[in-house]
Amino acid sequence: MTALAPPARGPDTAAVGAPLVEVTGLVKHFPIKGGILQRQVATVKAVDGVDLLVRRGETLGLVGESGCGKTTVGRLLLRLIEPTAGTIRFDGVDITHLPDRQLKPFRRRMQIVFQDPFASLDPRAPIGDSIGEGLRIHGLGNARERAARVKRIMDMVGLQQYHARRYAHEFSGGQRQRIGIARALVLEPDLVVCDEPVSALDVSIQAQVLNLLKDLQRELGLTYLFIAHNMGVVEHISDRVAVMYLGRVAEITDRERIFAEPRHPYTQALLSAVPIPDPELRRSRVILGGDVPSPVNPPEGCRFHPRCPLRAELGNPERCSRETPQLVDAGRDHLVACHFRGPDAPAS
Amino acid sequence: MSAAPIAPADLRGARWRLRLRNARGFARRYASRRDGLVGAAILLAFAVLAIAPDLFVGPLQTVTTATGGPLEPPSAAHLLGTDESGRDMLNLTLHGARISMVIGLLATLITIVLGAVIGIVSGYVGGRWDQVLMRVTDFFLVLPTFVLAIVLAPIILDIVGTDAELLGIRATLLVIVVVIGLTSWASTARIIRSQTLSVKERMFVDRARVIGGGPAHIMRRHILPNVVNLIVANTVLTFAGAIFTETTLSFIGLGDPFAPSWGQLLNAAQEAGAPGLGAWWYIAPPAFCVVVVIVAFTLVGNALDDVLNPKAGLRR
Repeated sequence: MTALAPPARGPDTAAVGAPLVEVTGLVKHFPIKGGILQRQVATVKAVDGVDLLVRRGETLGLVGESGCGKTTVGRLLLRLIEPTAGTIRFDGVDITHLPDRQLKPFRRRMQIVFQDPFASLDPRAPIGDSIGEGLRIHGLGNARERAARVKRIMDMVGLQQYHARRYAHEFSGGQRQRIGIARALVLEPDLVVCDEPVSALDVSIQAQVLNLLKDLQRELGLTYLFIAHNMGVVEHISDRVAVMYLGRVAEITDRERIFAEPRHPYTQALLSAVPIPDPELRRSRVILGGDVPSPVNPPEGCRFHPRCPLRAELGNPERCSRETPQLVDAGRDHLVACHFRGPDAPAS
Repeated sequence: MSAAPIAPADLRGARWRLRLRNARGFARRYASRRDGLVGAAILLAFAVLAIAPDLFVGPLQTVTTATGGPLEPPSAAHLLGTDESGRDMLNLTLHGARISMVIGLLATLITIVLGAVIGIVSGYVGGRWDQVLMRVTDFFLVLPTFVLAIVLAPIILDIVGTDAELLGIRATLLVIVVVIGLTSWASTARIIRSQTLSVKERMFVDRARVIGGGPAHIMRRHILPNVVNLIVANTVLTFAGAIFTETTLSFIGLGDPFAPSWGQLLNAAQEAGAPGLGAWWYIAPPAFCVVVVIVAFTLVGNALDDVLNPKAGLRR
């Protein structure tokens, strides 16, 4: 692939482990309009102050319940939607407000694999065209070189050569997700946002696709932001895990530590809900009362306080409903947003 | 590189094969609609007549080349009788087909191009552009065809002169084409915009943005192919509307007196007092043609709408 120049990279951040994406204070509010005059009557605070760091070469799992804003974070990173506030730095460059033309070289370096492999393929394009579309848009190589690259990437994701001439509706769900991955990887991106890439697939296919993603990461040195709600999937693929609740990050740390010694009460409740395939094993489950509050009107202070078992245990301290807890390092790169599970508090 | 790369020509071949397969599938589904077939057959017959009227009835008769007496009823020599100048009605009606169809075609072209471009841009770009374009569309949506024709015709004719020609079409006819185009693109733009709004929310459009596709690329490569069904079905219905409007405009005297379209014939019949004289053969042929062609277009349009719209099929 000599004819196709690799995308420009910042030399100082090329090392594995260096920050590739830094998100600070990211906010996305969606207005709700109503009435005859279409005035703004309320705001959905989908993402409300998120700080994240994705390091080059790692897989950061982003988990949380439906509606907690994890997909919105992924879309904001890729500038598919415009943030209300906050900054996004990609490879050291602030891309938060870059105009389209200047953003284009960065588009090549960050790609997405969507959840729904059916809706994300244009029904009117043969998949060879679909995979090669990005190369054409960025004017990479001539027709022959582009075709060769499409062919190579199809090989890598396990598609046959004759598949290039077929249309999206002729493929199974797993194959379509392979197409989705091929389309994302053909541009040789640094970052791939995987937005629940396996949750629409059969369980038997999920493992295949996950292993494919892992293999490709090793071969191509990819960085993944892996959005999921299935803890088993996240444990399988992630290096680090970030837990989101109602538009904010509750806890981020290594995969081992988050499963072994979760600090945030919400993470503990989330993990205790993961079924364990062992009928002999009994464990204490943390059952949360009530529902997730609406992001239109999130609770004051800590978003989790109305449902928090720890707060109840501590006798409902006022601080929880007054002051929003910030993400602080509780030691050994374990970030927690809880007033009572910070650095000085013992992990339970 | 283990295997030979896919040749670009190979992909191109694949696209053509798929188009052929789609066309066959479409033809099969369309053939199952009897109303659509009847409409298509009628239109085909009129198209043949419009392309070569000389083959069937000889060149267009004028007052000097008229072959009969004034207002003769139908006979063996003049199957549909004659007009007040002795011209053969069959001759005039068939030549009228050509003029009516050409005006319809050109007006439809303006309507569809303007409607599709404005609809797609307005729907996809959105925001302020959408606001501006839609207000302009609203303006043209409520513009009365006749008033516009009455105002525009003398202005344009004064500027270009009555003898001016563009591509062999006289200025007066051109005015009619422009007026019809201007007054009918707005509803097409509305329909295309609404479909664009739905297509642009689909995931593959986001995907195209992620890989770096600009608005022009997305509109051409992803939106247009997914609204083209609507454009096709709309074209056919617009054609019927254009012929109807042309007939009306000509009938009330806003047409080109030297181009005997069906509307112009009806206008001449009216002025010659054909209804009062009982000369039904002067009125019936052009009026019958207008009705039959519009019904045929509507049949084809409705059939296309059902066949091209996959969701419409589910209702039955």
